[in-house]
Amino acid sequence: MKRFVLTSTYNMNVRFHNVSKRFGEAAAVDSLNLEIADGEFVVLLGPSGCGKSTTLRMLAGLEDADAGDIFIGEERVNDVPTQARDIAMVFQSYALYPHMSVAQNIAYPLRVRKTSADEIERRVKRVAEILEIGNLLRRKPRELSGGERQRVALARAIIREPRVYLMDEPLSNLDAKLRVLMRGELKRLQHDLATTTIYVTHDQAEAMTLAHRVAIMRGGKLQQFAAPITIYHEPANRFVAEFVGSPSMNFIEGEIDVAGRQFASKSLTLSLNESQLEILKNYQRVSLGIRPEQITVSTVEQTGWLAASVYVTELMGNETIAFLRIGEERLIARAASEFRAAIETQVWLKIASDKALFFDADTGAAIR
Amino acid sequence: MRQNRKWQSLKYLLLSIAALASLIPVYWMLTISLKTDADQLASPPQWFAFTPTAEHYRDAFVTRSFGSYLITSTIVATLSTLCAVVIGTLAAYALTRFQMPVKANRRLSLWILSTRMFPPIVTIVPLFLMMRDLRLINTIPALVIVYTAFNLPFVVWMMRGFFNEIPREMEEAAFVDGDSRLGALRRIVLPLVTPGLAATAVFCLIICWNEFLFASVLTQTEAAMTLPIGIAGRVTQYEIKWGVMSAAGVVAMLPILIFALSVQRYLVRGLSLGAVKG
Amino acid sequence: MQSPLSVRQRFFSRFSNRRDTALSYLLVAPTIFVLLALSIYPLIFAIKTSFQTGTADSLQWSLANFTRLFTDQFFFAALGHTFVYAAVALTLEFLLGLGLALLLNSAIRGRSLFRALMLVPMMLPPVVVGVVWRLMYNTDFGAINGTLKMIGVNTENFIWTASPQIALLCAVVVDVWQWTPFVFLVLLAGLQAIPQEPYEAARIDGSSPWQTFRYITLPLLKPAILIALLLRTMDLLRVFDQIYILTEGGPGFATETVSLYIYRTAFRFFDFGYAAAMSFVLLLLTNIISAFYIRILQREEEAR
Repeated sequence: MKRFVLTSTYNMNVRFHNVSKRFGEAAAVDSLNLEIADGEFVVLLGPSGCGKSTTLRMLAGLEDADAGDIFIGEERVNDVPTQARDIAMVFQSYALYPHMSVAQNIAYPLRVRKTSADEIERRVKRVAEILEIGNLLRRKPRELSGGERQRVALARAIIREPRVYLMDEPLSNLDAKLRVLMRGELKRLQHDLATTTIYVTHDQAEAMTLAHRVAIMRGGKLQQFAAPITIYHEPANRFVAEFVGSPSMNFIEGEIDVAGRQFASKSLTLSLNESQLEILKNYQRVSLGIRPEQITVSTVEQTGWLAASVYVTELMGNETIAFLRIGEERLIARAASEFRAAIETQVWLKIASDKALFFDADTGAAIR
Repeated sequence: MRQNRKWQSLKYLLLSIAALASLIPVYWMLTISLKTDADQLASPPQWFAFTPTAEHYRDAFVTRSFGSYLITSTIVATLSTLCAVVIGTLAAYALTRFQMPVKANRRLSLWILSTRMFPPIVTIVPLFLMMRDLRLINTIPALVIVYTAFNLPFVVWMMRGFFNEIPREMEEAAFVDGDSRLGALRRIVLPLVTPGLAATAVFCLIICWNEFLFASVLTQTEAAMTLPIGIAGRVTQYEIKWGVMSAAGVVAMLPILIFALSVQRYLVRGLSLGAVKG
Repeated sequence: MQSPLSVRQRFFSRFSNRRDTALSYLLVAPTIFVLLALSIYPLIFAIKTSFQTGTADSLQWSLANFTRLFTDQFFFAALGHTFVYAAVALTLEFLLGLGLALLLNSAIRGRSLFRALMLVPMMLPPVVVGVVWRLMYNTDFGAINGTLKMIGVNTENFIWTASPQIALLCAVVVDVWQWTPFVFLVLLAGLQAIPQEPYEAARIDGSSPWQTFRYITLPLLKPAILIALLLRTMDLLRVFDQIYILTEGGPGFATETVSLYIYRTAFRFFDFGYAAAMSFVLLLLTNIISAFYIRILQREEEAR
């Protein structure tokens, strides 16, 4: 995408204050409190049904909040109709108007505001240049590929220079390669536009790569709101730890043996360092979490390493993912691409236990 | 695969017979309308070898009042279709778009549909008495009003199906872009729903044009008679003028056929009330 | 910077989502009003009339109209005619329609042409259909007798619609001619909606044509069949137009269906109360039968 600079003259932060919404008996969003700074790219991440889309739609005005306040800038917008909120939205299905040409689609927001024809033409041209769809202006949506349609949807969103951009899983209809490509372009675009953006997805890779901060939701409740790297290394609870990262984190159930200075599960024991013992001293049953890249595997026996058998290996080319079995436990480890081991052969692994994270066995909350 | 050839020819044969069976009686009526009175009674009947004459057409439309019947039918059909389509489409839009309590929405739609299930004969007497009290017997407005009520459930049900095919997201995008509800309706929804609207309108026209029972009860003088009544009138008289009747029949059926062919695509959906997609 | 919303837009934007509900009721109101006035009110009026007997000056409330039904020969005859008519017509229309749909569904050229031709009988005004077939059935110069004569058959006694014995069947033929295309179209649409995969799987499994038809086609076609039968049944029970033109219920009363009898009672004898009572019974009948169909349809849908 061509480089350009656009200065925003607004200070547009977005704030959710105790916002709730029910559908019938179920709470889709439960007392959400969220503050998004001006110019920030925030991703609402979570499994389907967690309330992220509902939250986005409440911000857009397409759903009404049952309780709480929603602010854009200083203005409380609960009762402000969608048309007047000065937002732009990219829908999952793009929602392009099929009977209009690309140019007319892009121009629509301006046309509805009775902008002059000259002004419309000028701005449509400029936006089409930015998104490199200038040669498609006369076509109809049905003649375009998925990626092209997505750019048209984006063009329609940015032409108005609104206060906030909302995006509802805009990449999920693209094939894998294109998705990765567009991810980068989106990030670049947001940087250039410097406008507050709220993005909904269930794909944790998108969240991690695009966001300044990620808000993970589950069952209508906010689980954690922090920068991607924080969420990755300091998850607030087990759900967050499991959701983020691919392959996902390994969990081992076990007990803390303070006297023995170790963590013991059914099939293995790990010694704990001082700081770990300090925070764990009052706990008995915990879940230990360790990421695949924190487990080292070798086909050669090493002293002090744990014996395990290979369940299956996946040769990815740049690395090898090994699914291992210790006793009754199953672990996933990341190995170098040269690593080879047949099914059911014995291997040895070392767990970097000082990097391990601990979670309360009952509540799932992180123990710090 | 050899038996396939035989099977194929048999298929075509059967289908051709069916097609012919559909057309022959109509063709027969066409010939009667073009034969002189003498030729009509000829035996054996001539299917092709006769000299055509336009006398019956002239008789029907110039001498007798079939011309006025034609005009009445046209006016009544057009007006009541217009009313039904406008009123019904607005209702259908409301039923599909607005967040009415879900149960109320369903009940309302089913109730609207159920009124179509009444055998017309049930409401004919009260309607007759109503119109008589309003002094609307023998007038065009009476027919227009009744036909509008007739067609409304059908319009609502059909348009509901068409509106449902347009994803909500399209209008939501329009709202986010800054358009009002009515603006979005005008600029986005209506253009997309136009083919369905046209098909529905054509169906209404056909229904009004063909209608007989209500017209026969609500119109008793020549002034307000529609085409079907005119044709029927010739039948119950002492001397049946087949030629005139056939000529009128041919003219009565031509517009319908043209219309019907134009909405072929939506035919099944319209006739089965959208239950099966055509 | 964005261009400001126009005054008009700002006005309309005051109607927030919640006030949309009021607008929605407003849009539905005319429809409800028209239907209440011209469908529901007459219905209630008709029901009221059915409970009244006597002349315009001295109306009394009574069940006489309904009890009279039990001893009215004409009514039973009309019921009988209606049921026979409906049953025979429905069966023939279904079998023919299904056969034609199956024929046309296999890849055939000229499919749209054929469909267009089949439209014709269905779209004709019923009055015209009555006329057409009166012409066909006419004893002296009708096409049927004429053609039979040409091949040497003695048609003196073939009086078709003038014969009390077979007049009803003649009327059934007319109905079949006009409405088989409808059943055909609905079933064809249903057939075309069936995906290819089950058929391909059946072929691989080695199923014979008859087995494929019985175990795959028919079950998947059930919804379309039910719709077609439901709609036809409702129309057949209240048939009026074509029969009126074809035979006026004659000869005698041999082809008088319930609708025709009601019409006769109301507009020849001006006995509105009795006519209303009969209409009520007809309405009940239609509702019970369609409820029966709809129940089966719903069970079908749930099973999917």
